[in-house]
Amino acid sequence: MFQLEELIIQFLLNFVAREELNAFLRDPRNTATLVGALIAVCGALLGTFLLLRGMSLTSDAISHTVLLGIVVAFMVMSSLFGREPSLASVWLIIGAAAAGVATVVLTELIYRSGLVKQDAALGLAFPLLFALAVILVSRFVDDVHLDEDAVMVGEIGVTWANTNSHCLDQCETVTIAPDDARAELTRQCTNCRELGINPRDEKAEFTQICTNCGEYSPAQAWQAGFTRTEPALVFWPKSITVMAVLTLLTLFAVVLFYKELKLSTFDPTLAAALGFRPTLLHYGLMVLVSLVAVGAFDAVGSILVVAFFIIPPAAAYLLTDRLPRMLAYSALIGAAGAYAGYDLARGSFLGLVRVSDLLTGLNDLFGLDLVEQWDSSISASMVLMIFVFFMAAWVFSPKYGLVSTTVRRSNQRRSFDNQVVLGHIQHHQGIAAESDELAVSTLHGHFRWSPAKMERVLRRLQAHNLVQFEDDFISLTADGETHAHSFRQNQLTNETVVE
Amino acid sequence: MSAKNSKPKTKNSQDRRIWLLIGATALVAALFVPFSQLFLHVEYDYTLRTVALGGALLGVVSGVLGCFAVLRRQSLLGDALSHAALPGVAIAFLLVGRDLGLLLVGAGVTSWLGVYFIRLLTNTTRIKQDAAMGIVLAAWFAAGIALLVYIQARPDASQAGLDSFIFGQAAAIVERDVQLIAVVGAVSFVVLGLFWKEFKLITFDAEFAGASGFRVNLLNMLLSTLIVVAIVLGLQLAGVILMVGMLIASGIAARQWTNHLGQMVILSAVFGAFAGSTGAIVSAVDADIPTGPLIVVVAFLLVVTSLAFAPGRGLVWMLLRQRNDRRRFAAQTMLQDLYHYATDHGAADTAAPESFLFGVRGAAAKIGLQQLHARGQAQPRDGAWMLTSAGIEAAARDDRNNQLWSVYRQYADDLDLPSVAEDRQQEVTQVLPADAVARLERQLDRLRTAASDVTES
Repeated sequence: MFQLEELIIQFLLNFVAREELNAFLRDPRNTATLVGALIAVCGALLGTFLLLRGMSLTSDAISHTVLLGIVVAFMVMSSLFGREPSLASVWLIIGAAAAGVATVVLTELIYRSGLVKQDAALGLAFPLLFALAVILVSRFVDDVHLDEDAVMVGEIGVTWANTNSHCLDQCETVTIAPDDARAELTRQCTNCRELGINPRDEKAEFTQICTNCGEYSPAQAWQAGFTRTEPALVFWPKSITVMAVLTLLTLFAVVLFYKELKLSTFDPTLAAALGFRPTLLHYGLMVLVSLVAVGAFDAVGSILVVAFFIIPPAAAYLLTDRLPRMLAYSALIGAAGAYAGYDLARGSFLGLVRVSDLLTGLNDLFGLDLVEQWDSSISASMVLMIFVFFMAAWVFSPKYGLVSTTVRRSNQRRSFDNQVVLGHIQHHQGIAAESDELAVSTLHGHFRWSPAKMERVLRRLQAHNLVQFEDDFISLTADGETHAHSFRQNQLTNETVVE
Repeated sequence: MSAKNSKPKTKNSQDRRIWLLIGATALVAALFVPFSQLFLHVEYDYTLRTVALGGALLGVVSGVLGCFAVLRRQSLLGDALSHAALPGVAIAFLLVGRDLGLLLVGAGVTSWLGVYFIRLLTNTTRIKQDAAMGIVLAAWFAAGIALLVYIQARPDASQAGLDSFIFGQAAAIVERDVQLIAVVGAVSFVVLGLFWKEFKLITFDAEFAGASGFRVNLLNMLLSTLIVVAIVLGLQLAGVILMVGMLIASGIAARQWTNHLGQMVILSAVFGAFAGSTGAIVSAVDADIPTGPLIVVVAFLLVVTSLAFAPGRGLVWMLLRQRNDRRRFAAQTMLQDLYHYATDHGAADTAAPESFLFGVRGAAAKIGLQQLHARGQAQPRDGAWMLTSAGIEAAARDDRNNQLWSVYRQYADDLDLPSVAEDRQQEVTQVLPADAVARLERQLDRLRTAASDVTES
């Protein structure tokens, strides 16, 4: 991991200066957005397939139960090796991925018994595993970095601060030994606690210990003032590396197995018949989902990562019918949500409205006593912005949006009304009952329409120059005749085709 | 043994079984109290009594209403809606402060909006229900988290404990909360009772309900509202994440024991009460064990027990039945194999070499021979197996029965025999009336004579 970061940094330094890179990374906004965007890309790539397979809620279940994997791995690590692993440790990630797969296996087991429906099986499996995780956390894992807020909300706002330092130049590692001039020595009582005595007691025995001995990395050495020249350092946030690796892995897997995933998603039976091993693909997908869920765990928490899996693909699903575009759109929506979400958390909605103004307005309007300063969870705000983009897609999508559907429906209704009236006139022109059927004043009665609606339709037909009026009689113009005729022709050919 | 008699009988015995089961559950729950006092050293102080009572009541309410979620294949709706309640809690707190009743009203409102949003989304777009639930779950929950973080930044400290709604905090439950659960639960049961017939209909055949003129959409919303009520009541105890487990587990367990909605609902209520109370008591063993998760674990154990042992459909019975079937089938096959081998090679008591039998039938041969040996129908003799006299008799009877069935299949129409289902496990002479059997046997004899004539000539 560390070497990988070195490589990335070396590569980036071809384009930007070290100071600029540091300044960029030290800005919480850049790092948070970057990490958010990487999670969004992973979520989009995997979530699209989950959505199309009707398995969206599996990501919800998995993101809950990775907690169990983390806790168990944590307990095993600390009891076997006697040290607490960090949240980014490989073992925790493996444990979490295993728990994710265990959820899927448990669900399948319950479902395969044939006694429980699929949704109920999922609803049984993940609360159980999550409950076990919560019990283990509260019973056995006390004073660790696994507190519940971190689990739920994540700490994407401070990812910039959790860094590895990389030294590029003037690197000097310093080792302070007890005989070094810079070593800080102090006396410590060795038997005070044992005997329960005060260090001033006569029986107290002392030993010299060194408080600052040990190895110092270049960054630590400079900070502690052991080195004179400032080393050229780059502080690289760990989360970026974790998410970048996961993104590359996901991207690699999806590109490599694109054909297989596509086929097994849209036609699992054919995929199985052609020997594509849909079960293997299924579990592979679940492993990836678990890995991303645990990687994102540190940044956005276990629940909000679900949003990155479900909402952007759903929005993209409303915008396009092509799988490659759906993948691209959902990645873009997720990343845009991550970018705009940071602003929302700091109180600005897309740069248009300030949340504090809104709160002031609410206070004035309803006489409330709300604090007018808005400073909220970054990851939650990212999800909210993604949801806003989803709503926009729902309303304005050219093909499936509310607006376009409404417009299309009303157009269809209008053209249907036109056809009906034209057909009626053509049908009754030049027959004995003409005077009865084609009198404008009573025409609405034949369609059981209100006179107002009849009036509207007739005016529209007249405007298009399809009908003409003589006294109280209505008749088709030459245009209207062609129109009605071609419509009937179409109807006939359509019917023939159907037959 | 005809179908006419057996139906009311099974219904009666099923009814009795349900009452026995309910009694047994109540007994275990009652015995659990002294057991926990003696062996787990649980002290029944005021807090525990309140929490256990609250857990039991909540188990009843969510058990009853959860049945409908399970049957309507909306188990995960509970998950989405419990998450969707969080912003309501936060907004209600911002508007009116910390009053449990009003917080729950707020929770109910947003989670009901969640239901409405899911319906709207699935009705107007091609997004499926599971994805719609996921959207509501994530977006509403994010709104709740954003508001909670905003609230926590407030200068006053009165917000303490709002995030207990996420994980649930049983210890915070006081007597007033229990009363609230009881009253609201009772009201929702009254509504359920009033619309029982309608709910039953839309649960099992919504299209028929619509065609019969019931307002299906309205009834759907009403039923969802009741489920929302159950979820909201449970939030404080179980928290938003585990609420789905409480809601559906006892319903799933109850479903295994009965095919009647009424019985299922009652049983589910009993199971829910059991899980709620014993979960609360066990969690009192150690202060570190949270109550909500433990209730979910107990409920899951109930589900596992029901899946395994429910009469008729339980996994244990199913496995036993499968094993018996496999054994019986293997024994029958081996009996025929031995008989045919022997008659083809001389007398009926000729021994068939073991290697031959195993080569032809594989693992089934071993099971079958064991069975036959146990029944005294076959015996081993230096690496070979031969039929005993009892075995020869059984095999001959079996063989003749098979031949008669074959004749029946081919000549039933010609001989004007009554139509029965072909089941070779039964004696054809028992299934058909005597005169039909006589005709069948004459036909078999005729066919045999004809066959032997052909061979001789």
